[in-house]
Amino acid sequence: MRLYSQHLLGTIVLSVLVVCIALGGGFQLNEVGARAMAQGGAFAARASDPSAIYFNPAGLGFQGSSIYLGTTFIMPKVTFYGPSNLSLNDETKMVDQTFTPINIYGTYELNDNIHIGLGVTNPYGLGTEWPANWAGQYITQKIDLTSFFITPTIAYKVNDQLSVGAGLNYVTGKVTMKIGTSIPFNGNPPIVNLDLSATGIGFNAGIIYKLIPDLSLGLSYRSSVKLDASGTAKFDPNYTLLSLPNGDATATITLPATGFVGVAYKAMKNLEVEADYQYIGWSSYNELAIGFKADPTKNEVMTKNYQDTYILRFGAEYTMDDIQLRAGYIYDHSPVLTKYVDPMLPDANRNGYSIGVGYKICEQWRVDASYFFLKFDQRKAENTVIAFDGTYNMTATLIGIDIGYTF
Amino acid sequence: MKQYIVLFITLAALIAALLIGCTDSAPTGPVIGLGNSTVTKYVSVGNSLTAGYQSAGLYKSAQLYSYPNLISQQLTKAGATIGTFQQPYWPDPGTPDPSTGKASRYIIIGWSGTTPIIGPAGEALTAGAPENAATLARPYDNLGIPGIPLLGFIDMTGNYNGTNTSAGLNTGIGYAILRQPAGTTSVFHQAAALQPDLVTFWLGANDVLGFAVGGGLIAATGNSPTPSATFQYLYNQALDSLRHALPNAKIVVGNIPYVTSVPFFTTVNPLVAPHIPSGYYMYYQKHLTTGMSMATTTLTEAYSPLITLKGQAYATLLGVSTCQFWRDALGTSFSYSALQAVGIDSSKPFGFHPQNPWPDALILDSLEIAMATNSVNDFNTTIASVAAAHHAALVDFNGFFNNVKANGIVIAGEKYTADYITGEIFSLDGVHPSDRGYGIVANEYIKVINASFGMNVPLVNVSALPKLSAPLSKVGNGKIDPVLPFGAFNSLDLLFSPSVQ
Repeated sequence: MRLYSQHLLGTIVLSVLVVCIALGGGFQLNEVGARAMAQGGAFAARASDPSAIYFNPAGLGFQGSSIYLGTTFIMPKVTFYGPSNLSLNDETKMVDQTFTPINIYGTYELNDNIHIGLGVTNPYGLGTEWPANWAGQYITQKIDLTSFFITPTIAYKVNDQLSVGAGLNYVTGKVTMKIGTSIPFNGNPPIVNLDLSATGIGFNAGIIYKLIPDLSLGLSYRSSVKLDASGTAKFDPNYTLLSLPNGDATATITLPATGFVGVAYKAMKNLEVEADYQYIGWSSYNELAIGFKADPTKNEVMTKNYQDTYILRFGAEYTMDDIQLRAGYIYDHSPVLTKYVDPMLPDANRNGYSIGVGYKICEQWRVDASYFFLKFDQRKAENTVIAFDGTYNMTATLIGIDIGYTF
Repeated sequence: MKQYIVLFITLAALIAALLIGCTDSAPTGPVIGLGNSTVTKYVSVGNSLTAGYQSAGLYKSAQLYSYPNLISQQLTKAGATIGTFQQPYWPDPGTPDPSTGKASRYIIIGWSGTTPIIGPAGEALTAGAPENAATLARPYDNLGIPGIPLLGFIDMTGNYNGTNTSAGLNTGIGYAILRQPAGTTSVFHQAAALQPDLVTFWLGANDVLGFAVGGGLIAATGNSPTPSATFQYLYNQALDSLRHALPNAKIVVGNIPYVTSVPFFTTVNPLVAPHIPSGYYMYYQKHLTTGMSMATTTLTEAYSPLITLKGQAYATLLGVSTCQFWRDALGTSFSYSALQAVGIDSSKPFGFHPQNPWPDALILDSLEIAMATNSVNDFNTTIASVAAAHHAALVDFNGFFNNVKANGIVIAGEKYTADYITGEIFSLDGVHPSDRGYGIVANEYIKVINASFGMNVPLVNVSALPKLSAPLSKVGNGKIDPVLPFGAFNSLDLLFSPSVQ
């Protein structure tokens, strides 16, 4: 039986990897499991399903062997009004896109104390696309960042109260960008198409301590990952006399460190509640620098100056026999200062509301579904460094689904 | 248990419906209006910058983007009832170069490798007078006259307002715009007759620029800028007259940028400096020197002299045994013996030998730069105090262009700098703004108008204005090293000589 299940795990992980690797990424994402997502992502103090590999690796210490995999459909809607610094209030709608970050986890109980796992997630990603020839074409037309975190994890259950865990993040990242190039002459500006990729290494670690059986504390940390991306730049149209730096190009992006502190409490026999504070070290994203090997004088540095920030998370899960009902709320504080708000990744403080349901089909199989609505505060960008002021209206709808198999 | 699920689903559906229904409404746009004011007539007074002069010519396709025309369009959007803002439109290719009789404007004539060749293309004129000169039975609203100094505002003799030319009376650009013979009118008279309630007044640049563009050698101004005391007297007189004639008008004046902030003076040094061999120096004539000289430069030292854009063509002759410059400058009166009389020997390497020095007319040496800078400082002090005394608002163009030169400006992600061509602010003559440059100038005016008079006039959408025309199948970018024909910039000297045209 053990042999068989190992084989099954390997087959499923591999085949899903092959299928899902083709899917895109999304925004900066903490949606890495439908069960946690339905509870506002407040999960670090319990980490009681295989998404512990993301939220808190110590959680594996209290779990058996299982597989958990799924995806999230993320549908952002953004409308820009402006640019107001040119006295305009024109409406531009961002091109609708659906992002589908995946999560695949396998956990295995080596013995009572040592548990191992492997996760594949897309915890960082962003993508925006604006109509061709729009007013901000020299700032951005399209950007897509996808990252895959492959995370082998080990947890050690010290006793029934305490577990610790750690993981290694092998990261592959890919960035594609389209930006208009300003030339001093009338005519279609050349669009630079950047296609860059990188790999990087990071780590994560966490601890869960159950003060009393009904009260659990969790702490976890994931390091930043520096991605030195390289690839090609292609200008289109490439005017023959333009000394445009086609060819090798580079960009450096540092994915920020993040940490969770959470407390979970079993308020009633069937009701668990949790509150988390998530810290995100966004100050690592102070600029996006693009280098052109053919002509370094044309290198481009876009100042971002993101600030370290936080997310407050609250969630609850009510269990009735085979069914679990879940709800949650988040407040996400924007890392972007007003003067650096840009259409490449417009951002604002946001409130998020989530609900979800879990259903235990049989002893081995379960399915989790969640719905998450993010309501961004209306963002007025004023005195921006790129002189592209205006107002952004944003919402995002997220739908998550995961299935789990317990051995 | 079932009722819990039903309750939960109901609650969830309710929340979802509420949230989806609450997308933000469109923000209200910028407030637009004239506040408590009305504007029924706007008149602009100035020189070539006000006329919409561009790429060494005055022609309709550029005049449409003159800053006064752009301001008038924005005023109208804010509710001003000024009707059509009348400008003296010269049909393309525009005004003539008196020395050739062909259109004076520069275009990109062709390409040498990847660099544009810039200069007049010998375009035949299509009209000798503005297209609406005969039909408009009143003064033009845009009274910008290329070439005039401050004195041109109240001048009735025709010597300073361009109604005369050295060739004959009532034939210059000023006459085509004022359309009255010398002795009967002035820019001031025509501006006052229109009874505007908004006036922009931007004069004074030619009181120093003419001196500077000619490398500090303009005979008509006595080889020096207008004396500061004279300038002060004239500026007071100008605003006194304007305020007296238009007691309630809103008046906005602009001050004068340093001459060294325009690409005409800043483009060539970085192109030439790398080609001066190590250990060699450029020998150049100092201020007012006509013969051989011992002054030297490598163009890289602190306070180095500035080679003018006009000097770019001659820079290709550095080190060559030639007297090309004197041949071009003196024309038919050129002779070897005259050169030898002042010690110039054309068999020596041009620009690299004291006996064949770089000519004074193509270089602004440190003494000349200091003279020009001191004059601008004095003039701007005068402009600020006289404007304040006459309740006129002030646009600090000197501060603005100094910042452009130091940092550039960014608009909707596009960077604009004081670089020649690639900077996009200046036209092909390196002194006058481009279409977008004039849009940027108009916005500086509008910002001051809004702040001073409580108006909310919308800014010009600079990003929507045209760029330079060039055949895009063959286009250059990045560091463009322009190739200028010998004598390409001669008409600029004429433009800035205060008493011509």
